[in-house]
Amino acid sequence: MSTKYANAVAAIRAMENSLLSRNDLDQLINTATKTERENIVASKRGSGAEELTLEGVWETIRAYAPDCRELEILLYRNDFHNLKAALKSMIAGKEPQGYYIRPTNLDLDALYPALSAKDYEQLPEYVRGTAEEAYELLTRTLDGQLADSLVDTACMRAMQRAAEKSGSDFMRKYAQLTTVCADIKTAYRCSRMKKQRSFIETAVCGSDALDKDSLVRASLGGTEGLFAYLEATSYGDAAKLLAESPAKFEKWCDDVIMELAEGARMEAFGADPLAAYFIAAEAELKNLRIISVCKESGTDRETITERMRKLYV
Amino acid sequence: MTNGLVLAILGAALAALLAGIGSAKGVGLVGEAAAGVVSVDPSKFSKVLILELLPGTQGLYGLLTAILMLSRVGVIGGSPAELTMAQGWSFFIAALPIAVVGLISAIFQGKTAAAGVGITAKKPEHNGKGIIMAAMVETYAILALLVSILLTYNINI
Repeated sequence: MSTKYANAVAAIRAMENSLLSRNDLDQLINTATKTERENIVASKRGSGAEELTLEGVWETIRAYAPDCRELEILLYRNDFHNLKAALKSMIAGKEPQGYYIRPTNLDLDALYPALSAKDYEQLPEYVRGTAEEAYELLTRTLDGQLADSLVDTACMRAMQRAAEKSGSDFMRKYAQLTTVCADIKTAYRCSRMKKQRSFIETAVCGSDALDKDSLVRASLGGTEGLFAYLEATSYGDAAKLLAESPAKFEKWCDDVIMELAEGARMEAFGADPLAAYFIAAEAELKNLRIISVCKESGTDRETITERMRKLYV
Repeated sequence: MTNGLVLAILGAALAALLAGIGSAKGVGLVGEAAAGVVSVDPSKFSKVLILELLPGTQGLYGLLTAILMLSRVGVIGGSPAELTMAQGWSFFIAALPIAVVGLISAIFQGKTAAAGVGITAKKPEHNGKGIIMAAMVETYAILALLVSILLTYNINI
């Protein structure tokens, strides 16, 4: 049993006490005003506590475990989003800063200048090739959607590669589940939009859990064909939810990742509890956003409750 | 000084050395975890301190065995006994239970207590359960200490 990150895990365990519980969410759903919601959240966090942000959570985790490279996989989606933002800003001649997502592993000040100068060597190895390929594709075809698909697929592949390299089961499963969710979503959209095989082949990544060729073939057969294929895999439940509504499928995607994170609650050492805390904070922020938006639009309590993502605590 | 006496002194040194190393590792690990909790919630210091102390006992058992042994052979007291090789080996072997079990149990107790720090961090009211779980490991260190003392006192000089 590795005793790595004993200090970081214990600190994270103490921080988990300030995450919102199911009762807190119920209270938030029952509030009438924004001020009431802010008061509930503030009382949970304790006096003088900073607002929960993913950037803050990431900085805290890195302060306790600065050498934990496997956690960087959690930010790959942000990294590749930022790559897309920088590429598109470059083509459109705009400033990219407003489109970036944080936290990220990339040096955002260096990203745009590096892409503009085509100096890909300045970028981390896992985005280098994709940046060059996406830039070439974008300038040649001016097809933003195709370039996005290429970057998204490259992101999933990079996650899988990095997770494999890390040797962490948690990260392997995280990368696999993230890829499966992204692939199903992409295949569904492609089948609805009746996209060509060549496009789908670029947009779908594939994984050990969901074979790329089968998924491409299934999505060429329309949504019926896709659902029929998914029903035969271990993602039959997800297919049913997707057939009902994409929002339910989105919730399923978040919940399976949270189920993975829940496994780390029993672990006293290692990087998994740190990753799980980051995922928990992500889910909490998403829940707060959903409550806020739903309350503003006057959505009823039952619907908001249905939309709530699984919690870690 | 006879070779037998050298063996007995070596045994006493091993008892203090190995058990002490185990305790240092165990206490260090719990200390790391405890510092993590205290950095977020300083009010939990006293609770995590109890857990941190637990793996320190093996070092004390090793020290106690070493003192008893050195006293038995007369090194403490100023009149060292003329031990035969057989007597020297007997003292050396008598030191092994606490030396080896002390080393291993302190490390494992440290891991258990560090995990217990996680309980204290999340559910301070269940702190006692973490202490009990870590204290269970202590049983084997106590048994080893008992065997080492019994052996030490039953060697004919």
